[in-house]
Amino acid sequence: MSKVYMVGAAMVPMAKYRNSSYSGLAVPAVLNALKSAGALPADIQSVVCGHAFGGMLTGQRIVKELGIGSIPVLNVDNACSGGASALNAAYKDIESGRHDVVLVIGVDKLTQFGGGTLPLVQEDPEVQRGMVMPALYAMRARRFLHERNATVQDLALVSVKARRHGMNNPYAQFRSEVQVEEVLNSRPICDPLTLLQCCPTGDGAAAVILVSEKGRRKFGKAAVRIAASVLHSGQVTAGFRDMLRPEITSHSARDAYEAAGFGPQDLDVIELHDAFSIAELVYYEALGLCAEGESADYLKSGKTTYGGDVVVNPSGGLLSKGHPVGASGVAQAVEMYWQLTESAGTRQVPKARRGLTHVTGGGIAGLDHGACTVHLFERAL
Amino acid sequence: MQEVSETTGGAGYGIDAIPIEDMKDEGKKHYQLLDGEVHLRGSKSRSSGSMAFPEREVCLETGARDMETFLFGGEGVLYSFSVVHVSSSRPVPYVLGYVDFPNGLRVLSHVVTDDPASLRCDQFVQLRATDDDWFVVPALSRGE
Repeated sequence: MSKVYMVGAAMVPMAKYRNSSYSGLAVPAVLNALKSAGALPADIQSVVCGHAFGGMLTGQRIVKELGIGSIPVLNVDNACSGGASALNAAYKDIESGRHDVVLVIGVDKLTQFGGGTLPLVQEDPEVQRGMVMPALYAMRARRFLHERNATVQDLALVSVKARRHGMNNPYAQFRSEVQVEEVLNSRPICDPLTLLQCCPTGDGAAAVILVSEKGRRKFGKAAVRIAASVLHSGQVTAGFRDMLRPEITSHSARDAYEAAGFGPQDLDVIELHDAFSIAELVYYEALGLCAEGESADYLKSGKTTYGGDVVVNPSGGLLSKGHPVGASGVAQAVEMYWQLTESAGTRQVPKARRGLTHVTGGGIAGLDHGACTVHLFERAL
Repeated sequence: MQEVSETTGGAGYGIDAIPIEDMKDEGKKHYQLLDGEVHLRGSKSRSSGSMAFPEREVCLETGARDMETFLFGGEGVLYSFSVVHVSSSRPVPYVLGYVDFPNGLRVLSHVVTDDPASLRCDQFVQLRATDDDWFVVPALSRGE
């Protein structure tokens, strides 16, 4: 069993790149991740590529462009969790001793759909009935407002914080501040969620280089240890589900904390799945950052921004940075690499030592989500 | 587009972080005339010398971003071919073939001929073009 480290990371600035193919999006991220690790294409022993909409052989279409071949290239779809699931697959190969240097890619191009909500699988009975992702989150939000002592202003504050953080991230799709009124007055998407409470459509790619202890000695670069990598699937029920207690996230986090030997109170920085404003509030509780029922107050007290307990989504999160679905799990790991190696520039979380990334995936009938990944990271000295 | 800094990292990014616009010129001509002859437009790496068709930004052998356009043509050799009778890509029938050029590049091409039954592996073919597309035609022997 080897420890697993990230020694290189890069991404493209999230935006709309209608003139770029999947390889056109991902190749610059891969080249820069290699460069930051001091690695050559020939050093790569295996590739895992996460995506949701890339089509056949997405990973091979990317890495062949720089001459990487004759090694395993695995393509992973797990909806929005595709990139993080790729990270999990690479983690397991390094941990088990199978490989010493693995390239992980996350990529997606949502502009190919021309805008609107994410296309879901038409075989699903709820999708046939009209389910779209913002509607699912909107029902969570409605229930949250019903059960908790919370208001739509509380929801909007999530977007306000995300956009404030995103101002300092050159890689973010949105880099301007917004106020509560502007968020609430933006156009309705699925009540009570308005446009500025929904992550934007866009394109992006990210890449990280994972290595074993042996690989780490070879490159000798600044390293971040992956202390836990957990992947869960949803558990079906045809009965009642508490939409404010996403068990897939709380169980994944529980297992990750147990594997890493540290917990939510030890975290300095978190990148969590804020695809919609309500998600962040629900996940504060599911990840154990605050007690059940306290998430709105926890946000308003400033505990999840600079100067608080833990900085949640310093990158701006999906709401500000953008959410090219299969890319996001890897882009979160890239942000974690920068934060834990003190190279995040003006958005650096001071003295960040430990971090968590979290991304869920997919809307299918009977499940909270189809997939959930939680990774824990620690600065390696 | 955002401001671009000198180096790429967590604090900012340089132009090397921007996606490659490889779909910008879809439908762009992959050929041009030189001294009345049809030539294909390929790319060659300044550092490694690796060549590729069609044009590209990154070296297929090293990942270097130093590709330059170059023209190649002349006679090629038909490595293999097929008359396509069923296709989801375009009206049938048509003939596809792999053409090997003297510089070492293999290129997928349409083979335009009135007599597909007479095509043979390893026969010579020549580049031709209309106003908006290029293809090869059979050449009976080298130099014809």
